[in-house]
Parts: sequence; structure tokens; C-alpha cells
Amino acid sequence: MVSENLVKDVVSEPYKYGFVTDIETEKISKGLNEDTIRLISEKKEEPQYLLNFRLNAFRKWQKMNEPNWADLGYKKIDYQDIIYYSAPKQKEKISSLDEVDPKLLETFDKLGIPLTEQKKLTNVAVDAVFDSVSIATTFRKELAEHGVIFCSISEAVKDHSDLIEKYLGSVVPANDNYFAALNSAVFSDGSFVYIPKGVKCPMDLSSYFRINSGDSGQFERTLIIAEESSSVSYLEGCTAPMFDTNTLHAAVVELIALDDASIKYSTVQNWYAGNEEGVGGIFNFVTKRGKCIGKRSKISWSQVETGSAITWKYPSCILLGEESVGEFYSVALTNNLQQADTGTKMIHIGPRTKSTIVSKGISAGNSINSYRGLVKMGSKAFGSKNYSQCDSMLIGDQAAANTFPYIQSQQPNSEVEHEASTCKISEDQLFYLQSRGIDFEEAVSMMVSGFCRDVFNQLPMEFAAEADKLLALKLEGSVG
Amino acid sequence: MQIIEEIKKNELISNPSEIQKICLDKLKLNPLPNIKSEYWRLSNKSKFSSFLDHSNKNKESKVNFPYRKASQNIIRLIIGEKNPINFEEENYSIRKLKEIELVEYIKKNISNFNQNDHWSDLLNHCLSSKENILGLNISGNKIPPLEIFSASSPDSFNAKTLILFFEKNSKVDLLQINLGNKNSSLSQSTYFCLEENTSVNHSVVSCGESKSNLLNSLNVIQKAKSEYSLGSLHFKFNYARFEIRINQLDGHAKTNIKGIQITKNNDQIATYTKMQFNGPNGFLDQINKSLADDKSHAVFEGSIIVPKIAQKTDASQLSRNLLLSRHAKIDTKPQLEIIADDVKCKHGATISQLNEEELFYMRSRGLTLAEASKLQLSSYIQEIISTIPISQDRWNLLDSILKEN
Repeated sequence: MVSENLVKDVVSEPYKYGFVTDIETEKISKGLNEDTIRLISEKKEEPQYLLNFRLNAFRKWQKMNEPNWADLGYKKIDYQDIIYYSAPKQKEKISSLDEVDPKLLETFDKLGIPLTEQKKLTNVAVDAVFDSVSIATTFRKELAEHGVIFCSISEAVKDHSDLIEKYLGSVVPANDNYFAALNSAVFSDGSFVYIPKGVKCPMDLSSYFRINSGDSGQFERTLIIAEESSSVSYLEGCTAPMFDTNTLHAAVVELIALDDASIKYSTVQNWYAGNEEGVGGIFNFVTKRGKCIGKRSKISWSQVETGSAITWKYPSCILLGEESVGEFYSVALTNNLQQADTGTKMIHIGPRTKSTIVSKGISAGNSINSYRGLVKMGSKAFGSKNYSQCDSMLIGDQAAANTFPYIQSQQPNSEVEHEASTCKISEDQLFYLQSRGIDFEEAVSMMVSGFCRDVFNQLPMEFAAEADKLLALKLEGSVG
Repeated sequence: MQIIEEIKKNELISNPSEIQKICLDKLKLNPLPNIKSEYWRLSNKSKFSSFLDHSNKNKESKVNFPYRKASQNIIRLIIGEKNPINFEEENYSIRKLKEIELVEYIKKNISNFNQNDHWSDLLNHCLSSKENILGLNISGNKIPPLEIFSASSPDSFNAKTLILFFEKNSKVDLLQINLGNKNSSLSQSTYFCLEENTSVNHSVVSCGESKSNLLNSLNVIQKAKSEYSLGSLHFKFNYARFEIRINQLDGHAKTNIKGIQITKNNDQIATYTKMQFNGPNGFLDQINKSLADDKSHAVFEGSIIVPKIAQKTDASQLSRNLLLSRHAKIDTKPQLEIIADDVKCKHGATISQLNEEELFYMRSRGLTLAEASKLQLSSYIQEIISTIPISQDRWNLLDSILKEN
């Protein structure tokens, strides 16, 4: 039997990204009403249709109730006690990175995000979002040569208004759910990606979200459109400083894949999760959804969730096009008092559509980790197939792992398979590894990474290594 | 919803007993379950209201047995009719529970009932009169097989309650049959208490007729070292809902559940199981099958709850579903809620149609498509109903199901 003390002796790694950048910011006052929305819209110089979209969403939001079906417990959010717009003060227009406040660049440097052009070697284009605004997007020129548009949503509203008007809210309607409605009303910034017909995006695109101020919420919106026969791999990362208050993050991500297009969306979520007593941390209420409109299109979500105090997130695929494919690969790790209710929805509408779900949940400490997923076979989803696998690993006897798969079928000529299992770190395997001279921490981390391998294999190279390290760090001192 | 209206107006029962009063009071303010809750949201609303649309004031008719009694050895009891009970034999005894024992027991249970989760039982106790509550205390072994019938009368609503205490070291084979009559609703609530070292082999066959509805609730409490096996079959109901709640009180117990529901036409049959492990070393093996044809709807929801105390639990749950028609619908939701870390828990769910390769093989051997399908269906059903102890020559369940399909 492994001594619990031995484990507790191992110093747990503090949250590395918990620092606050001291920078002058422009904030609007707390509270939410129609004027706040008009103000945000005005600050961003938005066209009328967008303001209408926001106001419409806001009116709907006012009539909605916060969802309570998830297996989560948190104190009521006071939506009037949040700052809905916060931006670092800087010159009007940035033409090159040199003009970005060095403090900001330093921040992203500290986070390991290659914003400066010297780091071109990594070959990843980055859009960095700081609180409510996007501060820089790298590799624009190179991307423009291929016709790829990669910029912040605010810029896209100005430069590519037709695309925004056509697609914004087409996957996640303004009244889809409580948090999506809130986001639609007050979204500040986010990334916009457009891949033209036949283009394979020459490099991975990445956005990096950083919450800096403690009292402002982050409401970003991401829109990715992949035209016929195009493909793109998109990475998303997030961190936040350590505050003892809870910060709200309610994002919306919309993906659209036309004929033969493919989108791969990877997330490594490392928000501040609160301390061991559960004080502070991010409330992460995110709506992510992709629509496979075209024939043979493909959307693949892969995510590693380690951060945020509360996670409420169900990246989904609507499989409309014939033979379209949806994938969901997820590792969710909860420790201390974290709570996660996460999973996916695969809505099969078109014929011969396929989906795969692989979800790995690891719960340690006093945390609650729930998988909640829906697989729906519509009456026209002839010859469609789904395979789901949900495995949970429990570390310690205080953590909870729940599985709630909802399966619905209206098409006899379709197949749905679901399996789930729960296990713990096997004493025998630990003993074996230790007897071979591998120390305890490393043995545990090896076993966890083996448990998650199916998902890590789906992550882009640079993310996979990071994710592995992240899990090992997060688990330190929690195994007993 | 005649019954609900009467509850609201306090006109349901003219001279309520103590228990009926308590339950009526509980339901008066909120007579319906929350249809938006997870537990009820899939219930077809119009069917559910048709379940509550029959009168409970009609005179009850005699039970028509679907098959003859095999031998004198079998003890056959009918809930609601006068049963000559009190068997004191060398190896066993069956004693009728006194009214005061029944009242105390039900009262104790009701106090823990939640209006939504136990709505079926609360409704049952409101309507179930003294005559319709059968309570037995069973002890010993070599007990002859028991058969307990419960039936609704045509065009009426009937509520029947069965309470069985199994004393230490008893071993029982029990067949429970719920019969639905034309245009009728039956509310059946069953309570089992298994003392230590008991072994109960329980089979439930619920068979309806056109437009019959059933609300069947089964509550089982298992003490240590007890073993409970359930085999169930529900078919031919316009609306049926089977709620199973099993609680392994101190762990160290075994539970086996095998169930099948067969829906045709416009039927809706739902099975909800809740398995609670409250001690270490519990065991569960569950398989639930559905067969949905025509425009019918089959629902399965099973939850397994393993709190911290239930270390070394070994639980598996499988939901297998066959969707036979384009207009039929299946919903399934197996769920695990686990806190204990040293456990083995798994579940699986599949929805598919008949296996084409197997069909092709059989047809290449000269069987017609209809024969081949029938053969495949019968093997699918047989796995479950083979656990139900009715010999083929008495009541050929498989045949009567296949004839329908």
C-alpha cells in the first residue's frame, strides 16, 4: 500500500501562470443593460446589424433561466457585478508588433506564446486575446498569400462584414442557451478564420486567451469557416491570474465546414482553478459547436481540460452533410474542489454520417468529474455510426466520477455503441514500475499518460507534449 | 386526468385510511410529477394522461388467468381477492402480515419519499385500499414456487400493493404477473425486504391488452449476503413504466437484473432502474433489452450509485436495443455516479437493427427472410425470458411475443 504521506510530501507545483500584468486598462463600469451593450458596440465601431444581433440576444437572455441540470454546485453569479469590457490602453491602430505595449509582449512571452516574429520557427500563427481585445495576430502576411484570413473578430467585422453577417450565430443561435445568449449580447473579441476553397492552411493557427483583470468577464467568440476542400488545424490555449474571486468566462465557438472541408480544433485549457479550498478560479461556461454542412466534411474536437473551477462545456457536431464525420477526443482532469460537467453532442442528421467519442476523465482530490454526452440518430441518418468510449479514473476516495450518456435513435439502419468504465491506478502496476526503479511520481504520471494516450495521439505535436507535462504537474501530490 | 382532478378536489376517496390520508396530503398541492425532470421528461404526455383517465370506483372483476396452474404444489395468490394464507410447514412458513405491521412499514417508507422520485408509490398508496394490499412474511427453504397475480379490471383504474419480508436464510422462487385489461390502468407497487443470507429469484411478467396502462414500481432492500435476481418482461401496453429501485443496505450482496421490454404499434414502455450501493463488496450484473417496432418508443434509464463507503463494488450494466422500424424511437441512458475509488464499474449501450450478416447466412442456408428474422429475434428475447420460470407448455411467452411481431 502506498503511503499517503509519501505522496503528500511531494511539493505540489503552484499554478505557473497566476501572475497579474500591471498594465493600464480601459474598463467600463460594472453592470449589464442595453446601454452597456450599445457602449461596447460603439467602442468597437460596429455596424447596425451587429448591434441588433447583440440587443436581440440580450432581450432573449433576460427571459432565460440559468441552466441547473448539470451536476455542478456554485454560488449564484451576480451578472451585474461583472465588467463587460476591459482592454489594455494602447495606441489606436497597431501596424506592427513593435507598437504593442512591451508589457503585453512580455506577458505572452512569460506564458510561452510566440508573439514576436523571431519565433517564426515554431510555424504557428497566433492571435493573442488579452481580456476583452485581441492585441496581436502574427504571420498575417504569409497567411494572406494563401488567401487565408486570420484576424480578430473585431477586425473581421470591419473588413469582412459580409462573412460575419452570413455566418455569425448560424451555428449557435443567439438564444441557444443562457450563456450563449449572454455571450452574443456582450462578446468582446475573439478570432476569425476563413479558409478559402481548396486551401490547406499552411500552418497551424492558434489563439491564446488571457484573462488579466479579476473583475471582468471574458466573452470571446470564435468563428471558423472552412470552404470546400479546405482544411485547417486550430489550437486554443488559455490562462488566467490567481484571484480569490471567481471570474466568468462564457465563450462561443462556431465552426462551419463545407463540402470535403476539415477542421481540427484543439484546446488546452489551463485556467486558474482556484486554490485547494476552492477559493477563486474561473467559471468556464462555454458553447462550442461545429456544423458539418458539406458532404464528406469533418470536424474534430480534441481537448485537454485541466483548469477552471467549474467547467460546463459540450463541444458538439451537427452532422448534416452526407458522410460527414464528427470526432471528440477529450481528457478532463479535476483536482481539489474543481467541478467539471463536460462531454459532447453528436447530432446525426445526414445519411452515412460517422462519429467517434473518446472521453477520459481523471478525478482527484474532492473534485467532481462528469461526462455528459448526447448521441442522436435522426430519422434520415441512414447507415450512420457512432462509437463512444468514456473511461474514468479515480484517484483518492473523495473524488467523484459520473457518466451520463444520452442515446437516442430513430433510424433502425444506424448503429450506436457506447461503453464506459471506471478504474483506479492499479497497485500492481505501480508496484511493478517502482520495482523497476521508476520513482512513484513518475510511475503515476506514466500510468495517467497511458490512460490518456488515445486522446493525446490526436493532439498536434506541440500540444501533446505540453498536455502530458501539464497533467503530471496538476496531479502532483494528489495520489494516495 | 380524472384522478388528478379528484385529488385536487379531495373527492378521490370517500373514507380514506391513515396511509391514504398521508399520501393524499402529500399529493394535494402538487399532484403531478415534474414532467421536466430527468425522471419524467421522456414520458409521453398524452399517454401519461390517459393512464390517469380511468375511474377507480368501478367494481373489480375476476382475474382471467393466462395459463392454468401446473400443479397443486404451486402457491397461487391474487392481490385483491381473499387468499387462504398461513402455511406452517416443517421447512417453511408463510404468514400474512398484520394490518398494523403493514401500516407501520408503509408509513416509515412514505416519510422518506420524494414527491418526484416516488410519485408512482405515493399515487399507489392513495388509491390502494386495505383489500388490495397483500403483505407476507416468508421464512425457511424448500418453499414451493409462489405465483402472485395482480390485474386491472376493464375500463378502470386499480392500485395493488405487495409487501414481502424474507426472513433470514430463506430461499424463494417468485413469479409476479401483472395483467392489464382493456382500457384500464394498473398501478402496482411492490416492496421486498431481504434479510441476511436470503436468496430470492423474482420474475415479473407484465402483459397488457389493447389500451391498457401500467405503472409498476419495485423497491428492494437487500441486507448483507443476500442475493436477488430479477427477470422481467413487459409487453403489449399502451403505456407502461417500470421503476426499479434496489438498495444494498450493507454491501456484501449480489444483484442480477435481466429485463426486456417489447413495444409495438404506438406503445411506450419505459424502464428506470436505480441501483444504490450502501456498503462494500456489492455486486451487480444488469442487462436490459428493448425491442421497438412500428411507431413505438422504448426508454431505458439506469443509474448506478456508488458512494465512498461502497469500496470494492463490482457493477456492470448493459443496455441493448433493437430498432426495427423507421418510425420507432429508442432512448437509452445508462449512468454511473461513482465516488469510491476501488471499484470496478462499467456500462455499455448499443442501438442497432437485426444483424445483416447473420440474416444473410441463414438465408443462404435456405431460410426465408421472415424465418431468419424470427430466429434471430427469438434468440435475442430468449436470453432474458429463459430466466422466467414458466414452462413452455403452460404459457408460451416466446410464441405469443413472436406472433405479435
